[in-house]
Amino acid sequence: MGIKETSKKKFRRAMMWSALTLIILLIFLSIYGAFLGAERTQNLVNSLPLSVYWSAWVLVLITALAIFRRLVRVTRLLLIHAGCVFILAGSMWASDAGHKLQKQLFGIDKIRTGQMVIYEGHTENHVLLDQSQPPKELPFSVHLKDFRLEHYKPGSILVYMPDDTTRRIPVETGSEHNLGGEVGKVKIVRTFERFRLVMEENQREAIDAPDGELMPALEVIIERPDGSQLKRYVFEPSQGYMYQDNFQISYLRMVSDYISELQIIENNKVVAEKNIEVNHPLHFGGYHFYQHSYDAEAGQYTVLEVTSDTGLALVYGGYLMLCVGVFWHLWLRHIFTGIKLKKLRNKPPNKLGG
Amino acid sequence: MEIKYTIQGLLIYAAIGAYVLAFVTTLLRRAKAGHVLYVFGFIIAVLAFGYRWYDVRHTPLQNLFEVFLCLGMICYPASLFCRRILRVGGRCADMLIGAIVLFPAGFIFNAQPQQLPPALQSWLFVPHVAVYMLSYIFMAKATFQAISQLVGKAQTTDEKLLPPEQATYRMICASFPLLTLGLVLGSWWGKLAWGDYWGWDPKELWSLASWLVYVGYFHFRYMFGKKHARINSTWAIAGMAAILITLLWANLSRLFSGLHSYAT
Repeated sequence: MGIKETSKKKFRRAMMWSALTLIILLIFLSIYGAFLGAERTQNLVNSLPLSVYWSAWVLVLITALAIFRRLVRVTRLLLIHAGCVFILAGSMWASDAGHKLQKQLFGIDKIRTGQMVIYEGHTENHVLLDQSQPPKELPFSVHLKDFRLEHYKPGSILVYMPDDTTRRIPVETGSEHNLGGEVGKVKIVRTFERFRLVMEENQREAIDAPDGELMPALEVIIERPDGSQLKRYVFEPSQGYMYQDNFQISYLRMVSDYISELQIIENNKVVAEKNIEVNHPLHFGGYHFYQHSYDAEAGQYTVLEVTSDTGLALVYGGYLMLCVGVFWHLWLRHIFTGIKLKKLRNKPPNKLGG
Repeated sequence: MEIKYTIQGLLIYAAIGAYVLAFVTTLLRRAKAGHVLYVFGFIIAVLAFGYRWYDVRHTPLQNLFEVFLCLGMICYPASLFCRRILRVGGRCADMLIGAIVLFPAGFIFNAQPQQLPPALQSWLFVPHVAVYMLSYIFMAKATFQAISQLVGKAQTTDEKLLPPEQATYRMICASFPLLTLGLVLGSWWGKLAWGDYWGWDPKELWSLASWLVYVGYFHFRYMFGKKHARINSTWAIAGMAAILITLLWANLSRLFSGLHSYAT
């Protein structure tokens, strides 16, 4: 073997060891990041030393594609390794540094990520960034037509018993539940969506006011072991009703969906409209709008997460290439080979002569 | 630990019992009887999973109880597939895996039915979790084969089955695409649900670490082949350790609070 061939072999070996080293380093970095927590890990991976590390990854992958011809000649291996390059490149382009570079090179000033607080019936174009930065404006506005919560039915009553156990009872109007000797019985009389106390004929009356503030509640009758009865109201969300420190009743409804009815307004025209929910964001103008949070007290406003779509196509493209390449290399290749071999075995032998 | 005095609990205990009996019977060289018991355990595990599905009114893959119930159910078909198609043995170990994964479902994890929070109401929920569960079972089989290789277990008497080092490699080859798909589906779902395809959440980072261990395994094996079989096996076991941490520690420990905490 000539000197050139030996050097080539040594260089390839060095590349393989570099790749393995980078993989092992990333394993330890991932584990370290898991202990650090999401926010600190995000700051760490966006720091300068780690930017050098990510660049090393991209460099090693591209160099590997250049010197290991098999990685290029064999399509499935090309898909796997090029897919990783795309994922890394897309992620770097989508990072804070990538957005700053975008602004410097192309003059595109996009908000990377932020939040919008919009009250019902109001329009907003300001995006709140992290604490150190002033809000930024979007080139269009977002109007919130309506925000609503949907709950699973029925809700539940949680009873915290004197013996520190908890009982969960589904809310069914008219149902009665025996909670044992120390507590007595609980009967669910009425449910309210917008509880309000009004005075009627000099007596306080609880009603469900259609135009009232959102205040879910239950009317319950507690029958104590001695036979006496108490009418009480249990509200959600709150600490619930505490009866003589003996036991506690809480009213619990599980949210099944958060829905924000949004309109995008550009040049005083509605150009897009969508009811966004968790898992169903709105994509417009280079941004995604996600249902992030809401006004837990009165349900009057919604909080949207706004993220730039920069680099997303590269990342998704990389994911697709990686998955196709991995399945092809480790599954399909062997399945096709197996099918070919089976066909060859089943093929009748060629008959020679006349 | 608590005993579940419910139909759900009794089904799980019956499945565990059948798997353990199958394991013991097979060890006592009564393979046919062991296989019958294994199938019986599988049927009960399917009933347990189906009962849970009926009880919660959605695919039961939401929390650790349901996930381990699913793992206990897919042990048998995975074992059958590995033996018949992939030529990987270890049926006895598979019976033990079935009992081991059902144990925490039966005695430790909370079985209280839960409604799906909005974040889990996605078509990606079932594929993401299911694909991961299947890959975990395959990787568990790979780990048993790797341990067999490390302890120097003699080559299997059945000529149709692969020796431990090759069996480990084949199981990892079968499982790694599923692990990759699970990671990618999770990332895609994270983008749809939370706005970011990678949130540096502890669970995501442990999943990445698990995936990277097997990437390292493939690269090391490409470099050295079967020359360092013991190191190859160590890679496989390290991968399983990372998977166990991802599945259990990352979910249960307060050390790793994050977006995946609903999975407890």
